[in-house]
Amino acid sequence: MNEPAYEQDDLIFALATGWDVSALALIRCSGPGCLEAAGRIFFPPERLAAAAGQTLIHGFIRDPRTGDTLDEVTAAVYRGRRSYTGEESLEIMAHGGLPGLLAIEDCLRRAGFRDAGPGEFTLRAFLNGKMDLTRAEAVQEIVSARTLGAHKDALRRLSGSVEAEVSRIRETLLNLAAGVELQLDYPEDEIDSGDLPRPGDLRGDLRTLGESLARLKRTFEEGRLYREGVRIALAGAVNAGKSSLFNRLLVQNRALTSQEPGTTRDYLEAEISLEGIPLLLYDTAGLRETESPVEREGIERSREITAGADFVLYLIDASGTGPAGEAALLENRENRLILWNKMDSPQAQPPPSGEVFPLSALTGAGVEEVKGELLRRIRGRVCPADRGEAVIASARQRDLLERAGEALAAAEEDLAGGIPYDLLAVRLREALDALGEITGETAGEEILQRMFSHFCVGK
Amino acid sequence: MWESKGETAIVVGGGHAGIEAALALARTGFEALLITQNLETIGRLSCNPSIGGLAKGNMVREIDALGGEMGKLIDRTMIQFRILNRRRGPAVQAPRAQADKFLYSRTARQVLENEKNLRLFQDTVVDIITGPEGRLEGVLTGRGLRIKARTVVITTGTFMEGRVFIGGYDCSSGRLGEPAALGLGPALQKRGFVLGRLKTGTPARVHAGSLDYGGMERQDGDKERLPFSFSHDRIDRPDLPCYITYTNPETHRIIRENIHRSPLYSGRIVGVGPRYCPSIEDKVVRFPQRDRHQIFVEPEGEDSREMYLNGLSSSLPEEVQQAFIQTLPGLRRAWITRPGYAVEYDYLDPTQLSPALMAKALPGLFFAGQTNGTSGYEEAAAQGLMAGLNASLFLRGMPPLVLSRAEAYIGVLIDDLVTRGTREPYRMFTSRAEYRLSLRHETADRRLTEKGFHGGLQTREALDRLEAKRQKIEEIRGKLKTARFVLSALPLPPAAPSSPEVSTPGDTAPENAETSAPTVDWPALAGRPLEQALKVPGVGIRDLLPCLPGGEAYTGPGDLEALAQVELDVKYGGYIARQEIQIKRFEKMETSRIPPDLDYGAVEGLSSESREKLKKFRPLSLGQAGRISGIRSSDLALLMVHLRRRRRTGEEPSPPGDPPGDSQGSA
Repeated sequence: MNEPAYEQDDLIFALATGWDVSALALIRCSGPGCLEAAGRIFFPPERLAAAAGQTLIHGFIRDPRTGDTLDEVTAAVYRGRRSYTGEESLEIMAHGGLPGLLAIEDCLRRAGFRDAGPGEFTLRAFLNGKMDLTRAEAVQEIVSARTLGAHKDALRRLSGSVEAEVSRIRETLLNLAAGVELQLDYPEDEIDSGDLPRPGDLRGDLRTLGESLARLKRTFEEGRLYREGVRIALAGAVNAGKSSLFNRLLVQNRALTSQEPGTTRDYLEAEISLEGIPLLLYDTAGLRETESPVEREGIERSREITAGADFVLYLIDASGTGPAGEAALLENRENRLILWNKMDSPQAQPPPSGEVFPLSALTGAGVEEVKGELLRRIRGRVCPADRGEAVIASARQRDLLERAGEALAAAEEDLAGGIPYDLLAVRLREALDALGEITGETAGEEILQRMFSHFCVGK
Repeated sequence: MWESKGETAIVVGGGHAGIEAALALARTGFEALLITQNLETIGRLSCNPSIGGLAKGNMVREIDALGGEMGKLIDRTMIQFRILNRRRGPAVQAPRAQADKFLYSRTARQVLENEKNLRLFQDTVVDIITGPEGRLEGVLTGRGLRIKARTVVITTGTFMEGRVFIGGYDCSSGRLGEPAALGLGPALQKRGFVLGRLKTGTPARVHAGSLDYGGMERQDGDKERLPFSFSHDRIDRPDLPCYITYTNPETHRIIRENIHRSPLYSGRIVGVGPRYCPSIEDKVVRFPQRDRHQIFVEPEGEDSREMYLNGLSSSLPEEVQQAFIQTLPGLRRAWITRPGYAVEYDYLDPTQLSPALMAKALPGLFFAGQTNGTSGYEEAAAQGLMAGLNASLFLRGMPPLVLSRAEAYIGVLIDDLVTRGTREPYRMFTSRAEYRLSLRHETADRRLTEKGFHGGLQTREALDRLEAKRQKIEEIRGKLKTARFVLSALPLPPAAPSSPEVSTPGDTAPENAETSAPTVDWPALAGRPLEQALKVPGVGIRDLLPCLPGGEAYTGPGDLEALAQVELDVKYGGYIARQEIQIKRFEKMETSRIPPDLDYGAVEGLSSESREKLKKFRPLSLGQAGRISGIRSSDLALLMVHLRRRRRTGEEPSPPGDPPGDSQGSA
């Protein structure tokens, strides 16, 4: 068990909203004596002192040294254990300007608060019994969730869908283990062999369970795409119009574009959001032979980016020389879209049949279709939450699932080698323990329960 | 008034727990007094005529390793012996013996009578006596005697407010025909102890001469017999067969038609019975799809003509019992000598006890056996031994001996009882132990003999014997590393190699062919070191003896045990090593001590339910706290933080070095 590293009885604060220009910002303060300390910067202090728990009050933040009013705020007052952390807390809603926020934070430090470490509010909530471990992990995800989609994913997990899925797998495994344990706990001649699972069936069952675990474990990878964004590289020959598409997708003209080939000598990166899914867009340098060492360097890095991307949008200049030949060189891949660009050009040749998307990055014609197709493919691959499946998001859960999966695979292999059941049971226990760590249950009594209810045993 | 010169320790009850407790006290030098209602019924086997079995056999050997008596008693009185579960792996094999009930009981009494510090006395204890400051001072008996003692071990079995049921008949009894022990239960309750009701049952006995043996399968014991006791080299006892028969649809019809006449189903019995050992009416009702149940017909003794119908436990009216028994092949004309019956009795909620089995509320008062909610002779004896030994350590002013879950089934048993309590009669199962690979029966001596010796119970000879065995094991292991496999050394082409376990001629046919040993490619092993060859599935250590220098000399009983142990250590070394890593992790939590007087009110953040639970249980380690039902990992985190801060601020000046889960009797 990891021992919590933070102190737990001092005053902490943190900006709960992002460090960015926004209309409103939320500053969360927590710790015993938190309201009294905040009275040093809140005006009028008596209003804060008189406020009942779970109420909103209005007032001002004042610099205690100069007496200057820094901001007009509303604040949520929590007394007793009913706050997020389970401690006395105050949540200050301030205006979102960065200089103002800096000043408020400075005042809080003077009033005796310290900056909270990462996850410290959630840690206190956990330690104060306000949430269990799976939930605490999910909250961490919400806090750092990049977009709505990831948020939804985290919310689904909060409602316990990972637990439900793990419990389902564990349930099956428990029944299986009970059949094995039964044979260990009762002598051969005291159980009806007709009741018993056959070793052959057992292997099949173990394999099926292993597959369920693997599927759930894969969702971690998919959840990663949601949290960290889907990496999409724009690739293609020089002057195929990658930067134009990049800009089109970004709306704002962030990347430089010109008719001169090789303008993008390195790569550009931007984050956009497609129906709640974060996309990391890379505009890469065009691929061509070049003498310029700078450009060569850029092309090399572009190759790496393209190789590591989750999806590639490959652009072909429809007005160039031999676009059809270029398209023919590319095989169809699930993670690549071939775009037939510059359809607006009079020299544009008609797109060949097959999976090719006609497009004009300049006019925007065909962009919606490309986005639609991209979304469809991303969803198919990375959005289990949209499919209503559980998604695991913490590395701890993934590791535990992996441990369980390894134990089951070993059990299956051992079974093939004619291992006695008492050793097989060790593997099953390992798997059960790992799953139990996710759901917070221990197996011992449950196995017995199943033994007695499913099998007629005992002299 | 009883006169006593030295300090007296009183043991209440003469069953399997009482026997071990009294002997442990007497053998560690205290004047012990065993009080029982009836000297004729010491060491009775009230139910099945056998000792041992899966997990239970391991406990008998653990008792023996610690210096207890049960293993020696069964070795001297067995009438059949078998190793169970040979095919299912080393960790779950266990010895079981059919006992001559009458000889067992008589032998137990002789041992007690010949113990020099021990006195037997016939009376009924009706209350304990406490002094002005609430200190334990002794017991009060039914005949009005006040007997002084500084420590009392209560082992009342099924007798405390016991009540026997057969159909519409019921009567105050602890065993059929024997009066219950009245008074003590209510007296303890008045003193604030929490008691509950449990139920157990036993089948009818029939006369051997009224059975048709041709209608039943005969079941013989193993030819090769392994003594339970590490101090015995051989068993010289008769071998009697058991018989197997089956119930049938007619049996089930009779039971179903009369089910309303069962005191269990009419609601007259409130106590909870064991799920794992259901009555025949329970089995018929709960598993209606089954058209037969297996019944074992077992002799009760060499000189007795009574037979025990294992599997037919019932509390239906006697005429119904007679009717359904006579539907079984072999039993058509069975003459019932004693009917089956259910017995309901008071038990103490064992969570009121410390891991030493001492009442948390009253130092010096110990409880052991079925009184604590267990079932089974072996579970009772194990507790009796630990309660007796700990009572002795208490009198000596020494820390208690608490066995951990990782070192003995006895540790698992007691930890489960005092940490989780029980709502049904608790029986030991191998699956209750997290580390059963380490708890094999043949390793009981190396796990526990030294602890028994340091506790003052085990003899110097036992320690020497263990040392000799250790050396023998080292010697064999050394040879296995250096000697190589020579194909020509094998006596015959090994067409049918022995099973991976050390097998014996009495072994039964494999029923689970797919898990039995694979065939071995012997020529491929030529030239390999023996240790490597032994790891190959299907190769047994006895197959390799001809290649082992001096191997032909390993024929003594001690040698066989040593060989068996080496074989398992080598074959399953990988698994054992993994388990040892787990045990290390486990021990870390076990040794994170919680002071018994910790103020849980001062631990911030605990939910009120958790706080109440911890206050009630007062766990001695974080490991134990984690096993209390309803305590969550977040509660443990809070406790950990609190304890750390407490240590830092100096509230707890010196963190004690002695972990609670470890042997403290070795001081």
